[in-house]
Amino acid sequence: MENEMNVPAGFEALRSFAKWNLMTADERTAARREASTEELKEFYDAILPHIEAVLDECDKFELGELPESHRGIFNIALSMAEIAPHIEFYKGDPGVPFAFEEERFIAVHGSDETWQALPPNGPR
Amino acid sequence: MAVQTSSTEKDPGRWARKYPELGQEPLPVSPYIDPEYYEKEKAKIFKKEWLYVALEREVPSPGSYKVRRIDAADTSIIIMRGKDNVIRAFHNACSHRGNTVVTEKGQETYGKNRAGVVTCRFHGWVYDAKGGLVSVPQEDRFYSCFDKKDNGLTEVHCDTWAGFIFVNVDPNPVKPLNEFLGGYADHFGGFDYDTCDHGFTYHTTLDCNWKVASDAFAEAYHVDTIHAGSFPNVFEGAIEDVELFGAHRTCSVRLQVENLPQTPIGDLANERSRGSLAAVGGASTLPPTLNPNRDEDWGFELSVLFPSVLLHVSEGIWFTHQFWPIAHDKTLWEGKYYLKKPRTHSELWGFERAMVLQRNAWLEDTATMEDTYRAMLSGAKKYQHLQDEEILIRHNCKVVDDYVDS
Repeated sequence: MENEMNVPAGFEALRSFAKWNLMTADERTAARREASTEELKEFYDAILPHIEAVLDECDKFELGELPESHRGIFNIALSMAEIAPHIEFYKGDPGVPFAFEEERFIAVHGSDETWQALPPNGPR
Repeated sequence: MAVQTSSTEKDPGRWARKYPELGQEPLPVSPYIDPEYYEKEKAKIFKKEWLYVALEREVPSPGSYKVRRIDAADTSIIIMRGKDNVIRAFHNACSHRGNTVVTEKGQETYGKNRAGVVTCRFHGWVYDAKGGLVSVPQEDRFYSCFDKKDNGLTEVHCDTWAGFIFVNVDPNPVKPLNEFLGGYADHFGGFDYDTCDHGFTYHTTLDCNWKVASDAFAEAYHVDTIHAGSFPNVFEGAIEDVELFGAHRTCSVRLQVENLPQTPIGDLANERSRGSLAAVGGASTLPPTLNPNRDEDWGFELSVLFPSVLLHVSEGIWFTHQFWPIAHDKTLWEGKYYLKKPRTHSELWGFERAMVLQRNAWLEDTATMEDTYRAMLSGAKKYQHLQDEEILIRHNCKVVDDYVDS
């Protein structure tokens, strides 16, 4: 399923990173924590040249109306947001160095599908 | 000359000079670890003072309600908007045999009833949004001494400021909310909190006293060491603009603009959104009381809304840390970060990156708290030493002491 990620024309290169096509913040956090430094680095280096194009492509659609065809690349961009500090600040450490136990931090918005941009604070 | 004056003002000890009544002496550790001290805090602070429990928009329309658990006041509170649009607050306790009327799903429970009533699950007693008991199944089987009109929900004091809802569970008359807030309300009231209606929330329960947790966020001295990972050299300067407002307090945290990290994803996120504190933000959303000189290096305002809320305001961003004591050695921490509703996928993505970095910084912050508390329990250190930059903590120790001794 994940390996059959749909992508818009021009973004075929991202298909090999379908593992990071993850809808929710909780899924992306878990995947990042389980990944190796090498894997994070490979993902970061491979996605960086595409990231602006991915955002520009997704910006063609109103927020909340992202078609299924584009959700995969947007989810990959979101995984990049999750992973980037680990490459840019933490020397590739898949965890946050010198930090509290991550599994004890509960994200109230953690199971939302991020592309929907739901208001996470308060009633739904 | 102006430069000289300014450098004198910045000499070490400037906050102690501004607030000599706070003293400079080491402060005892016992208020953090003594269960009896905590019992006094419950009785004299959490059961006597105004507590921030919700935003008005969390109860958006008639019949909307939120239930907030407040362990430190031994209760949970129903906050409900009535058909008259008035927000009222009640103990979540049924007049029948004391069950919670709204079944709680955790520390915060949200709901809405179109008829504007809440119904106890246990035996079906129904209360309206003014707290009145409107229906009791099998009412005729109760005795003649029972009267519905005497058995509404127990109302608690409830008032609002700048979109924030406060309650005070003291059954006696209390000083008005605006008197409690005093100058703090003027300082922060001009920011439009309501326009930041997007955001994220994290929470965790920490094995430490609530003041250990609150203190750890209430100074910028730790940033160099604790946030060397997520905010390297970004907020390493001294705090400015310290002001005390009765029990409340504030300061501004400054950016080291020249040290702002330049990284590909960080830069792109900051280009496409205003979500992260670690970027020069401007002042388009700030009232004149915040960053009054419109300094470029003004990062955000860090304030303590007594007793246990830290409210921060930055350009287009505001966030709170709230510390809910559960026991003398257990604290629920909630971090809530608010941003303007994103307009594009780019902006949403930038917010995601800001959220991730902020979460990681909070993971760095919370890392010390249980360790600090365990070390305090050892009894090895009877006193803690606070430097001038930790003046907000010193103020808190004094204010809490004053309440406890009152």
